[in-house]
Amino acid sequence: MKYYTYYPGCAMETTGKPIQASIDAVSKVLNIELKELPDWTCCGCPGESINELMSVALATRNLALAEKTGLDMLVPCSCCYRNLVNAHVIFTEDRRIRDQVKEALAVVNIEYKGTARVRNLMDVFINDIGLDVIASKVQNKLSGLKVASYYGCHQSRPYGPDDFEFPEWQDQIAESLGATPVFFPLKAQCCGGAQLFSQRDMVHKLLYKILDDVERHGGQCLATTLCPLCFTNLDANQGRIKSRAGTRFEMPIIAVTQLMGVAFGLKPAELGLKKNISPVTKVLDPYLKVRA
Amino acid sequence: METTIRGAKTFVDEVAAEPGGEKINECIQCGVCSGSCTTVEWWEHPPRKIIAMIRAGKREQVLSSTSAFNCVTCYLCTVRCPRGIKPAQLIHAVEAIAEREGYKPKTPTIKLFRSLRNAMRQGRVWELGMALRFYLTSNILYGLKDVPLALSLMRRGLMPIFPPKKVKGSREVAAIMDKVEAMQKAGGAQ
Repeated sequence: MKYYTYYPGCAMETTGKPIQASIDAVSKVLNIELKELPDWTCCGCPGESINELMSVALATRNLALAEKTGLDMLVPCSCCYRNLVNAHVIFTEDRRIRDQVKEALAVVNIEYKGTARVRNLMDVFINDIGLDVIASKVQNKLSGLKVASYYGCHQSRPYGPDDFEFPEWQDQIAESLGATPVFFPLKAQCCGGAQLFSQRDMVHKLLYKILDDVERHGGQCLATTLCPLCFTNLDANQGRIKSRAGTRFEMPIIAVTQLMGVAFGLKPAELGLKKNISPVTKVLDPYLKVRA
Repeated sequence: METTIRGAKTFVDEVAAEPGGEKINECIQCGVCSGSCTTVEWWEHPPRKIIAMIRAGKREQVLSSTSAFNCVTCYLCTVRCPRGIKPAQLIHAVEAIAEREGYKPKTPTIKLFRSLRNAMRQGRVWELGMALRFYLTSNILYGLKDVPLALSLMRRGLMPIFPPKKVKGSREVAAIMDKVEAMQKAGGAQ
């Protein structure tokens, strides 16, 4: 059993519920124990664009709580991940901001020593668990399924351990499940994130480019990283975007842990698959039936 | 004259004093940031040009343009910049100045951030409340177009109608935010 402090992030309790279900189910199979960080709060993510100090201070509060547990801090949401790593880097490297953050946290008697280790799930799957272990848990080989792995930006930029232009870890996981990874150039392109509220047309165009790129390169489904923002943006919005052929996109959007769960022989309900808005059962049925 | 002097400070010094703006003078104007930018087609002035304009002292033009607020913070410019300038952070420094000084950008992004900041005070973000606050203060008609999306999320239990239950940390978060704001107002920070 491997133990981690788990920081779900706000969206994992709402739009990210299907992803959370699959993370829980897959963790059990892989002997990962996630102990939710007690009393965690918002990481301060998109706030850094207008107030970096505020954003770093909010993130550091969570880092300080995680530090006390002595365990690696596991963060599924890419935005939270990037913001927490960013806060740690700024705290350890920028003395001016560190002193200000310390002063702000002292108001609530919180002190951060600077020793938290923030990690994302792909890092843990690849480096702590290993592809051979993942492959050994496969009950239903996803043979013949062409999976385009989408990483979004913050999982590998600017600090993530995977390649920042063309990350590969999710493709390696898909391959170990028996699927065929499909390369597409926009795999780490931004989905527009929270700008969906304020600049809908811009985000729709970014989503169009990603979905179109997957179609052109022959992906049968798009496996997203565990970021609930990327997932919901792609999953819930494609009905509103016309494809090149002038019809609606019908690209199944599946979180990578949902895909793992299907290969591990778990039931759709355990993986939250019924909550996905895009038509996922169409491509997953042959693999789900194997077990039933 | 475009060049604005506030006290002894030129605009480029002002940006350099912001967190993230420090390295502006090391830019060699190679344009990798503009070429990498995910949303460059929506920018009035692309990132490379913004840097040139800051150095030329075009304060008013930079702060009143929509450009910085189109940044989706994807960090492609930042990982590629050959001088290690971190253009995304530099653009955020510009956004921070514009926000503090009350510039009204033509994109509603700034209002979104304000709604978000209010949502953060609760400790954990309640998306529906944040979206409602944002649309009510920016454009209700624009917001109505998102109703079908919200309903399809609600049907699946993915968009709670009520705010999340308060955690103990929400009080701490509010206290931290108040302190940061007080420090910034006092001029001790940034």
